[in-house]
Amino acid sequence: MTTTLERILTRVQKPARYTGGEYLATKKPLSSVDVRAALCFPDTYEIGMSNLGLRILYGVLNQMDGVWCERVFAPWGDMEAEMRKENLPLYALESGDPIREFDLFGFSVGYEMAYTNILNLLDLAGLPLRSEDRTELTPLIIAGGTCTYNPEPLAPFIDLFSIGEGEEALPELVTLLRQAKAEHWSKPEFLRAAAKLPGFYAPSLYEHSYHADGTIAAITPKDGAPKKVTKRLMRDMNEAYFPTDTMVPSTEIVQDRVMLELFRGCIRGCRFCQAGFIYRPVRNRDVELLKEQGISSCQQSGYQEMTLASLSSSDYPDLLPLCDGLLEWCAPHQVSLALPSLRADNFSMQLMERLSAGGRKSGLTFAPEAGSQRLRDAINKNLTEEDLLASCRTAFSGGWNAVKLYFMLGLPTETDEDILGIADLADKVHRVWKESSPNRARGVRITVSTSCFVPKSHTPFQWEAQNTQEEYLRKVTLLREAIRNRSITYNWHDPETSFLEAVFSRGDRRLADALEEAWRNGARFDSWSEYFNLPRWLEAFKTCGIDPAFYANRTREKDEILPWYTISDGVRDAYLWDEREKCYQAAVTPDCRTACSHCGANRFCEGGVCHG
Amino acid sequence: MAKHRILFSKDGTARFISHLDLMRTIQRAFLRAGISIWHTEGFHPHPYTAIPLPLPLFFSSECEILEFGLEGGATMETLPDALNAALPDGIRVHTCYEDGLAFRHLTFVRYQISMEFEEPLAQAAGKALSELLSRESHVITKRSKKAKSGQTELDIIPQIHCVESLVAQDDRLELQVLLRAQNPGLNPELLVNAFRAEYPDLSSFFTRYHRSAILDESLQPYR
Repeated sequence: MTTTLERILTRVQKPARYTGGEYLATKKPLSSVDVRAALCFPDTYEIGMSNLGLRILYGVLNQMDGVWCERVFAPWGDMEAEMRKENLPLYALESGDPIREFDLFGFSVGYEMAYTNILNLLDLAGLPLRSEDRTELTPLIIAGGTCTYNPEPLAPFIDLFSIGEGEEALPELVTLLRQAKAEHWSKPEFLRAAAKLPGFYAPSLYEHSYHADGTIAAITPKDGAPKKVTKRLMRDMNEAYFPTDTMVPSTEIVQDRVMLELFRGCIRGCRFCQAGFIYRPVRNRDVELLKEQGISSCQQSGYQEMTLASLSSSDYPDLLPLCDGLLEWCAPHQVSLALPSLRADNFSMQLMERLSAGGRKSGLTFAPEAGSQRLRDAINKNLTEEDLLASCRTAFSGGWNAVKLYFMLGLPTETDEDILGIADLADKVHRVWKESSPNRARGVRITVSTSCFVPKSHTPFQWEAQNTQEEYLRKVTLLREAIRNRSITYNWHDPETSFLEAVFSRGDRRLADALEEAWRNGARFDSWSEYFNLPRWLEAFKTCGIDPAFYANRTREKDEILPWYTISDGVRDAYLWDEREKCYQAAVTPDCRTACSHCGANRFCEGGVCHG
Repeated sequence: MAKHRILFSKDGTARFISHLDLMRTIQRAFLRAGISIWHTEGFHPHPYTAIPLPLPLFFSSECEILEFGLEGGATMETLPDALNAALPDGIRVHTCYEDGLAFRHLTFVRYQISMEFEEPLAQAAGKALSELLSRESHVITKRSKKAKSGQTELDIIPQIHCVESLVAQDDRLELQVLLRAQNPGLNPELLVNAFRAEYPDLSSFFTRYHRSAILDESLQPYR
């Protein structure tokens, strides 16, 4: 550790974020290393270290001979100010070496509100923001993660995007980079070669042209780049690397527990949910393997809490045997099990007993998403009121006395009747509590939360307009006035962040100028309320001559070329349009396990058949 | 319950681990090393670990003590190596033993304070510091969680048992002091802050603190 860093650290909050040295952080002798990589989650240490994807890729890269992968997170404002004041460039946590000396600098991008942090990190590293201004081959700036399914707003800044799951793709890229370094390739030469690797998108090899109305006229690949870049994925989760020997931070992080990944993908096909489409098809890990991985993770980390992670844990076919198998070891070792992401339609008494085996009954959270059956059908949530009430009855009679219900406002086809349905549903939940609680004297807390729906790329709602902020707030008022029961608390998310998310989630590369402008005017950590400032963003859009409503509040035509059409998750565009049509007819599509709906993702499966 | 203790050092990146995080870190290390320790009894049993004199953040130390109850998974001889393999960088266990002195006997702490100056001010600062330390009394106000006002007054002079050495050269001042450990005890940062307030022109640019010994009332190593 340098004296400068040491001195700075005595002046900032939570200095343990910036030191490295955690148990099982990887260190390698430099003499054995010929490729140096740094993976960055562009948020605070506490959030970034909670990301399972980052830990997986860190482990995968460090398993490679000659490759040393380190970590970087976004410094909080006090640390950033000190670093700038003392001219301390962005460094990697393991070695403390400046990032600009690395070969590969990769960002894991989980949400749009992290975009300004990426620019800030490049700047703190002393690197030019724009790919075209970084003429050397290294450090090569790459990005991957959910958000990069629409990579366009970041296109001018990132050299190469890794689309989909990175466990196999990233080592291939590192191998190519090693060759390029040895043979002294130029950066353009390397990008042309990398664009031929499956799953890599080099944005500089695509030209976007526009119609006078601002929509895209054409996307033209150059230099032999493929017309479509299809995501990479692990076909067999039993073969996929899982970090049972992962780093244990010495300071508290958000997910300070073992995260056991049950499966990827989701069988449900909720029409608003991007994750439900881009991670298709569903791929389960074997129950025996999961037990081994879970127990081994606890033993190697010393964690006494384990959470079963997936998009919808109660859809794991062997959930009860898995819980029982884990509890057999966990209970005598005082390790508690947590099960987030439960669906309200298959939360059973048996499952509840296993959850309460840890002794504490925290609140339960269900996400009906919409207040009426019609709208739940339109978004293909496939959850009935009876199911929800039955689950609540199970929970209340089992002693739970707090339930949170999540909804979205502004879903396609929504009417005021649907919104009032939320208040009705909450009332019915309250009635169920009265009927089934064994101890009514303790009271009940029912929390209703709403957020403003953000249409996402690669979903059937990718053509939809987001509600304006005024419209959302009108609906909030409508709902607030309809909720009169004092046991029901209503919280709503402010629509400002959702609006900006909607701009970027379906934005094109012209937004990059506004992104840079907003960053120059101080935007960073936009997902943090202490930093977020919408007027600053509106100012930046104005300066760059961009109308954000064009991106957020406009309905797209069926034949419009959408900015992310170069990126394929395997699902057919025509399928998404059909699903959208079905929404307007309030027609449901069965889940993948009940019947294949021929979305196209089966192309990734052996023999063309998914095994959800 | 038989009470065991480990003597460990905390240095390097581990200096930035706070007391609370340190407790959590060591409890997890016990689990990783497969060493079982005594849990408190009651409605929410939790592992018992206690540190008699928590080390302030940023300080290094070669004489930290943690008390616990060893139940199995290691003997007192094998424990240091087993636990070291499960600890993060900068925390090293030297010995494990039982029947330590009661916490109330921990009376004095030796600190090495090293002050760096941007200019060759060390000698002048050394003189000024000697002057401050030779006073009959010097009362400072410090933050207090107990006092209603959030502040309390403390005379630092009686808390300084002795100055063992003071070496000033160019831009560095090395001070070794023996301070009272508890009731109320003195954090050496308060000493340096008091100096800074009295002699603002001689303020150091950066100060490091190292705890090198803990002693009982007869000035023998406290264990």
